[in-house]
Amino acid sequence: MIQFNYICSFFLIVLGFYTIVTKYNLVKTVIGMSVMDYGVNLLIISIGYNPGGTAPIFTAGELTRASYFVDPIPQALTLTSIVIGACVTAMSMSLVIRMHESYGTLDTREIRRLRG
Amino acid sequence: MNFANMTDYHHFPIYAIMVLFLGAFIIAASGGKPSKNPNNPAGFRAWIALIATAASLCFLIALIRPVMLGGEVIAYWMGSRGISGGYAIGIALEVDALSLFFALLIATAVFVSAVYSIRYMVHDDCVPQYYVLYCLLAGGVLGLVLSGDIFNMFVMVEILTFAAVALTAFRTKVYGALEAAFKYLVVGCMGSTAILTGVIMLYAQYHTLNLAQLASLIPGTMNNATKLAFAFLYIGFSTKAFIVPFHPLAADAHGAAPASISVLISGVLTKSGIYGIMRLTYFLFQTMGLGRMQFMLVFIGSVSMFVCVTMALAQHDFKRLLAYHSISQIGYVLAAYHAMNHTLFKGLLFLAAGAVLHETGTTDLGKLGGLSKKMPHTTVLFLIGAFSISGVPPFNGFASKWMIYQASYQKAVDTGNIGFLLVTVIALVTSTLTLASFVKVSQSVFFGQLPKEYENVKEVPFGMRLAMGILAALCVVTGLFPKSVTALLTEPAAKAAANVGSYITSMGFKTSLPAVEVSFVEAGVWEPINWLLILCIALLAVTIVAVAGKYDRVSETTSENVETKYQLFYGGEENVYSQVGGGDLFWGFKHNWRHYFDFMHKLHSGVVNDYALWAVVALALAIVYMMIAL
Repeated sequence: MIQFNYICSFFLIVLGFYTIVTKYNLVKTVIGMSVMDYGVNLLIISIGYNPGGTAPIFTAGELTRASYFVDPIPQALTLTSIVIGACVTAMSMSLVIRMHESYGTLDTREIRRLRG
Repeated sequence: MNFANMTDYHHFPIYAIMVLFLGAFIIAASGGKPSKNPNNPAGFRAWIALIATAASLCFLIALIRPVMLGGEVIAYWMGSRGISGGYAIGIALEVDALSLFFALLIATAVFVSAVYSIRYMVHDDCVPQYYVLYCLLAGGVLGLVLSGDIFNMFVMVEILTFAAVALTAFRTKVYGALEAAFKYLVVGCMGSTAILTGVIMLYAQYHTLNLAQLASLIPGTMNNATKLAFAFLYIGFSTKAFIVPFHPLAADAHGAAPASISVLISGVLTKSGIYGIMRLTYFLFQTMGLGRMQFMLVFIGSVSMFVCVTMALAQHDFKRLLAYHSISQIGYVLAAYHAMNHTLFKGLLFLAAGAVLHETGTTDLGKLGGLSKKMPHTTVLFLIGAFSISGVPPFNGFASKWMIYQASYQKAVDTGNIGFLLVTVIALVTSTLTLASFVKVSQSVFFGQLPKEYENVKEVPFGMRLAMGILAALCVVTGLFPKSVTALLTEPAAKAAANVGSYITSMGFKTSLPAVEVSFVEAGVWEPINWLLILCIALLAVTIVAVAGKYDRVSETTSENVETKYQLFYGGEENVYSQVGGGDLFWGFKHNWRHYFDFMHKLHSGVVNDYALWAVVALALAIVYMMIAL
């Protein structure tokens, strides 16, 4: 049931959007961004999955026409995406810490010096 | 290794990207200890950044000959892993005239801004780290426009977003810098996620990430999943281009970032988003021929133009005002080839704003005034930029705006569609409002009376004036000789956008699209030299009248300048509306429009949740529109 994965991944993406839009705590915003990322990662890995496929690890002689394995490219893409997601979290958390120092609050409704 | 082979111009695109990342690496590896020289706290690292950007620009200039004039499309497979069994198995760079056009713009802006940075960043700490991020940002954008692989485009988008966010927050003590960076990061991250989702949905459909191969497969096989992917990709690149509804992020980021970075955000980051949208619509999905797609882009372009120019009129901060103008002009870019001129004059204006900030320490329009006496060169350079952006002949803004008016009017006449006529009107109105707001800026910053606290202001150092001078010279030259610029740069780019067939075949993929020869019809006859003469005569006449009338030079300084600054234009009314001062030059206009301004001010609330909501709504609307329209 790979469709279930697709539904779940879009559910996670939308959940991430929902968190970012409705939560007024900066840390929760960062969590929302991470959830959104995980949704996309799940989508990528599900797209590369072939039911019943083996791991795509072969040495030169082993690979034949009959080999049946999962698509390795999405896995590489997921790794890249995970690394980028970790960077996003690290960077946004460091910004949150600095903002808490200078604004004294984590409420997004109070962090709005720039507007209009 | 064969060294003769290394000077082959086919390698130049990868060199151009590599030198920037290599520069970032060397600067980072050399440690963060500031140098003793007070005029250059980064020491040799600034020179490394300068050399890297200059080398990158040189490599790209060397490509003008084969790509722009020769019409070649350079396909460069990394590690010579090309196509196997009809599928792209390697990662490619693909440089056609459109890529090179954007790459040249970017490299020029990056180089000029690096020249400017050396003296501009003297008051800051951590300047070595600044250059690391600077080179990363430049490399990321260049990698994005030269890439021939859609996943690589995503990675480059992430690199440039990170670098841009970090640089926006670089001056952490600046009012609102952290906040601007965080908002940019949240919405930018949503955009990147949208791009990645679009990329992976395309991969699921076509099992390839190569742009040329996708372009050969997608047209004709559009299904709902492809349309969904298109909507995701479109919104993702929109966040990078800051077009409506993502414009508040740009205003925040511009206001907080150092001026040298504002230049990059305005001239480089927005261009990368525009490039992404053009790559999608002209090449990947080839939806540009569809009337509904054109309608959407022209509609969004017109809305961006109008909304942002009116938002700009209500600003008090020099850089925020410029930022809204920048996005307003991006509206023109979406509608047509205004991109090059935009980078030049917008870069110039931001550098001038940076020069003012550098000397006075503020960008508040209410506090500044009369700087033309203290900073004559900056004033002249700023005026060149202001004339260009307002579309005053004979500067470069006019040439491209003229083409937009003509093209949209011609389209209205040809198709009998009243909508295109409306675009012409909006474009003209926007241009007028732009001029109006630059009259206000030059009045409040460079003319009028000098506040007492700025009596000791000096002209900016030579390095900064040099950078502004380069851009001003380019503005004038491209304005005076639009034909040669068109022949050299914009015409090949326009041809490339129409010539998808050769883009696909030169990469080694089959396509049913023929490699067509496009004849490029220049829109309208436009002789700038005559206009230059008229301008000179008009200036001469004004000077004579001013001298003959014993024009009284007001030179006393006063501390109460805030009230008397607009004396010439002052209507005597009270400040009835908090956003619009009674002494404002355009008080009457704003008073009549106060409900609109009030509404817009409430809408741009500054709460990150609202901007995220706009992004989600835009994504939903884009998905619905694509499903129905395509």
